[in-house]
Amino acid sequence: MYHTGVFINGQSPIYKLDPRIKLAATICLSVFILWVKPLIAFVIGIALFCTVLVSGISLRTIGQALKPLLFFIVLIFLVHALFSKGEALVSIPYLGLSLSYTGLQQGFFVIWRFLCLIVAAVLLTLTTTPSQMIAAIKYFLRPLKLLRIPVDDIAVMIMLALRLMPILLTEKERVEIAQKARGYNLRQSGFIIRIKTFLSLASTILSGVFRRADELALAMEARNYRRGERTSLVELRLTSPDYFVLIFLGIFSVIFIALNYYFS
Amino acid sequence: MILLENVYYKYEPEGIEALRGISLQVREGEHLALIGPNGCGKTTLIRHLNALLLPASGKVTVGGRNTNDPKHQADIRTFVGMVFQNPDNQIVGMTVEEDVAFGPENLRLPTMEIKKRVAETLGRVGISELACRNIENLSGGEKRLVAIAGVLAMRPRYIALDEPTVFLDPAASIRVLGIIDKLHSEGVGIIHITHNMAEAALTQRIVVMNEGRIYLDGTPQEIFEKFGMLKQIGMQLPQVTELLIKLKESGFSVRTDIVKMEDALEQIRSLAGKFKV
Repeated sequence: MYHTGVFINGQSPIYKLDPRIKLAATICLSVFILWVKPLIAFVIGIALFCTVLVSGISLRTIGQALKPLLFFIVLIFLVHALFSKGEALVSIPYLGLSLSYTGLQQGFFVIWRFLCLIVAAVLLTLTTTPSQMIAAIKYFLRPLKLLRIPVDDIAVMIMLALRLMPILLTEKERVEIAQKARGYNLRQSGFIIRIKTFLSLASTILSGVFRRADELALAMEARNYRRGERTSLVELRLTSPDYFVLIFLGIFSVIFIALNYYFS
Repeated sequence: MILLENVYYKYEPEGIEALRGISLQVREGEHLALIGPNGCGKTTLIRHLNALLLPASGKVTVGGRNTNDPKHQADIRTFVGMVFQNPDNQIVGMTVEEDVAFGPENLRLPTMEIKKRVAETLGRVGISELACRNIENLSGGEKRLVAIAGVLAMRPRYIALDEPTVFLDPAASIRVLGIIDKLHSEGVGIIHITHNMAEAALTQRIVVMNEGRIYLDGTPQEIFEKFGMLKQIGMQLPQVTELLIKLKESGFSVRTDIVKMEDALEQIRSLAGKFKV
């Protein structure tokens, strides 16, 4: 079963890139997506689409990742389309709203930027194993060690959070099924009963999660986990494709910045 | 060698006395089954073997190191690996190889050595093809094997397993037991908690616990011969042994110290031979 943002095994060149390059590229791209003029954001989006095509990740998988956000995407578009000032194409007199060409254009570019950001993040997580990602984050956080910030512990915390997320969802489903099995019907219940059920669901899930966390801590201790520095399975080493991507990104960044100033 | 000398342990603040004067010796390479009713202290006992719990009184020595000495605890946890009952509560990594690497990473081994150990351990457990798989997409049996591999990657001399086949279907149980058997044949000492008497019968030695004490200790034959004592604490016999006892009670001349299916079959065949016309 596919879970949003969970690594999918693959062999395309993007998988072989150093995670630091992928992470840095995603952050850099995200800044550009938010900062540049709409037309350049459109070009970045097209480039991102081409990257998806060569990544070996199916468009269907990207679509699945976007599906939970569909409601927000539509909402953002409608808000911009209906509330932006401009010459009205269609008016809704009773509500005092109007659909303008400027609004539509604005709505399109806002959701375009939003989609680009999501696709960039999804592409990163789908092609990078969590341990590679953590190694990259740990690398960038390294200077914080000078301030005595426990970077290695933070990395383990991120790993555990990622690991516990699906467990939390499974636990929620388990409790919901148990409630249904004892005759609880969400659709036929009133507001107060729903609130009560939610509270009992939350407390059951939380107690289950704390119990699991306790056991997990014990299991980590049993495998010799101690706070402080650890080595890693992931070897961070830049190879020629990484340098190529770095140069490519550098050139495009300069072009984007130049174009952005040219159009302003 | 693992040596427990008059070990007592009490869970605070409830004050439940889980271990009451346990003395036990487990030799290297031995395959030992720990059985007993629920709440008799089996899990508490094995958690003393890799210093997860420390005795309130008495002494636990693992490979000559006292578990009470904090400076030995890292070595002790490498010496005795612990496989928990629920693999979901043990697995830390998101993918199989990440989890197997967790122990060696904690031992601060170099990356090349970690990679070598991960590949070697996955091969040893027969799950090399799962290396890059997401943990959430594994079956219960596969997760159990990953949990075993995660411990094995630290190259322990002993492995303590808390009910390794519980909740598994017969095929997955057979696979897990096969791996345990293989590890034993490679010289790894196994301490194996189980409620399944047929599983216990496959080991070299059975320790029966009851109310925090060692109730019986011996070979499977010696233990299952004392079926009256086992029944007293609510334990059952392996079905083959039970069958032979029933045959003997019905007047047939059969041995009742048999615990394995093949030996029981042999007995029944020889019995059938006597009645052949």
